[in-house]
Amino acid sequence: MLRNAKRETLIAYILIAPFVAIYGLIFVYPTIDLFFLSFQDAPLIGPGEFAGTENYERLPRDRRFGTAFWNTAYFVALTVIPGTLVALAISMGVTRLSGRVQALVLSLFFLPYILPVSVVFRLWDWTLNFQFGIAMHLLDIFGLDRIPIFKTTTWFMPAVAFVTIWWTCGFSILLFLAGLRAIPKEIYEAAALDNTSRWRMFRHVTWPLLWPVTGLVLTIQLILQLKIFDQVYLFSQGGRPNDNLVMVYYIFQRAFVNNQGGRAAAIAVVLFIMVIIISVLNFQLMRFSERRK
Amino acid sequence: MRKILAIAASALLATSAAQAAETVVWWDFLGGGDGVRMKQMIADFNEGHEGEIEIDGTTLDWGVPFYTKVQTSVAVGEAPDIMTYHASRIPLAIKQGLLQEITDEDWQTMGLGEEDFADSIWDGVSADGKQYGVPLDTHPIVLYYNKDVLAEAGLLDENGQPKGLDSREGFNATLQALKDAESVKFPLASVTADGNFMFRTIYSLMGQQDGELMTDGEFLVGDNAEKLENALSVLQQWTNEGLQSTYTDYPATVALFTSGEAAMMINGVWEVPTMVDLHKEGKLFEWGAVELPVIFDHPATYSDSHVFAIPKGNDMSEEKRAAVLEVMSWMSKNSLFWATAGHIPANSNITAMDEYKAMEPNSTYSSLTANMIYDPKTPLAGVAGPIFDVMSTYFVPTLNGEMDPEEAVSEIQYELNDM
Repeated sequence: MLRNAKRETLIAYILIAPFVAIYGLIFVYPTIDLFFLSFQDAPLIGPGEFAGTENYERLPRDRRFGTAFWNTAYFVALTVIPGTLVALAISMGVTRLSGRVQALVLSLFFLPYILPVSVVFRLWDWTLNFQFGIAMHLLDIFGLDRIPIFKTTTWFMPAVAFVTIWWTCGFSILLFLAGLRAIPKEIYEAAALDNTSRWRMFRHVTWPLLWPVTGLVLTIQLILQLKIFDQVYLFSQGGRPNDNLVMVYYIFQRAFVNNQGGRAAAIAVVLFIMVIIISVLNFQLMRFSERRK
Repeated sequence: MRKILAIAASALLATSAAQAAETVVWWDFLGGGDGVRMKQMIADFNEGHEGEIEIDGTTLDWGVPFYTKVQTSVAVGEAPDIMTYHASRIPLAIKQGLLQEITDEDWQTMGLGEEDFADSIWDGVSADGKQYGVPLDTHPIVLYYNKDVLAEAGLLDENGQPKGLDSREGFNATLQALKDAESVKFPLASVTADGNFMFRTIYSLMGQQDGELMTDGEFLVGDNAEKLENALSVLQQWTNEGLQSTYTDYPATVALFTSGEAAMMINGVWEVPTMVDLHKEGKLFEWGAVELPVIFDHPATYSDSHVFAIPKGNDMSEEKRAAVLEVMSWMSKNSLFWATAGHIPANSNITAMDEYKAMEPNSTYSSLTANMIYDPKTPLAGVAGPIFDVMSTYFVPTLNGEMDPEEAVSEIQYELNDM
């Protein structure tokens, strides 16, 4: 059969046109607009005046930007690697179970993941509330001082990180389980015949063969946690939001509380570039370690 | 084809508008006990205007979410016909171009005017000699107290009000006596975890020393910084001496008081319906509410007003606008019921009524209308606005004893002037 290449190309273009149009309209165009906005002294809505690079120049001496930047970095450090390790440990445990018990245990670990963030917030607020939280009564019983967990800067980030790991690790566990099941049984049998210790088996069989999944989980977690907003917003409500700022929260605050669209856009651009740089670095690092093996 | 559809649709709309009542789309942010009262008022209005005007009301989330939605809806021309607004946010709203002016003609149509409102309230909706809203109420903060606990400790005077409301020493003594009596966990329930809320208390205490937050566009000029420091010191002292609850958020504060674990509470009048309803169900002790104690030179209480405003960004017909004016006028003239929500009606004809004067605890604290202070008039002010936001950051650590008042004030000064 003769193929009309021109015609096929045309049909291909027509078929992808709706996607390209929507993608352009709701992603590419706003992104470009964001860059322009970041060079303007503009309110949240409506036109602004060109302000050069002023929005960027004030960032290094903007204290809140500093707070937001370091808090985001701190939060990423507290969640990405610890969260991945916790998920790996749990999935190693779950994989040793079988049948109904495994399904039950797995669903127990997965359950928090299906909760909306508002419910997660309520649950933990009830647990850790300074005046009425259940955990506080526990502290009372042991004669310890109550800790205002979500109201002090020392405890806030670690606590939110803990809640986040509790909330999201179900998904990572699933990914790890799938990865573990994909490792052929024969390799373990061969290793067992050679009298390999548990640790060596993990170190030389499970870990390297699971690496692609680990890399995937790390990347997903990294991008997700850089964009942290919901939990921080909810847990710092009625507390001290400005000491617990993270990047996305700060963008929200500049744009919606202070009505400064231009300055908010500048921060958004910085976050955008940060995410790109870190993702590329992460990807290269993964490739590098892959090649080494 | 599209044209025909459009014509058909507009014809349909036109005929239905001619036949049915004028529908007024209404947005408010009244989600608490007062929201229930407002729904009742809307129902009453609709009943009285059957076939003429119908209010289609929606309650949205208070604060930043509400004001963001207003802004975006005006921008795309989907704004409601009428909405509730905070007087303190009017300067910002004018800058954002969100509100329609209420003209002299409008006031005449409504049968209302400057003489119907207290000066401070009228001033709250005015800018450059123009008005941008119809005041519904004024809602200050008050001191709630547990009559049973105070009576037991011998701390009520002959009028049944707490002793020591006239001086810092006096009030401290009352708090200390409550602590010594050990019948409650805290003498005072205070929203110490929420700097946004505490703005009201601290600004009141500044007002008691004639302090100004903003003078000619500059923040905390001259000895105003010191006055803020004084105000913070009082509250920190209460924390240090174990007289008030620490790290307490808003719901927990109300719960501490209503459960009897705290003897007194500083909170907005909007919690009055909570108390009234609980008391009616027999779940609450005997209680009262009075004007804030005079800690410094003279009485002063921070207040704000709920007002009705007409947003820009909807092409209103003459008839629609007339209907909106009727709604605002009716609400103002029937705001006696609104007083059951704790708020003090803005319309002074209502507060002069005998029925109002017989209402408790409203009439006890309504004396404070003479001592009300409002936010500085700037686009940076207002509930959930930038000033609120900056100051609140430093209130929480200070009120809970983590930061010195002096340090807090210098940080606040730096950040306010950096905005």
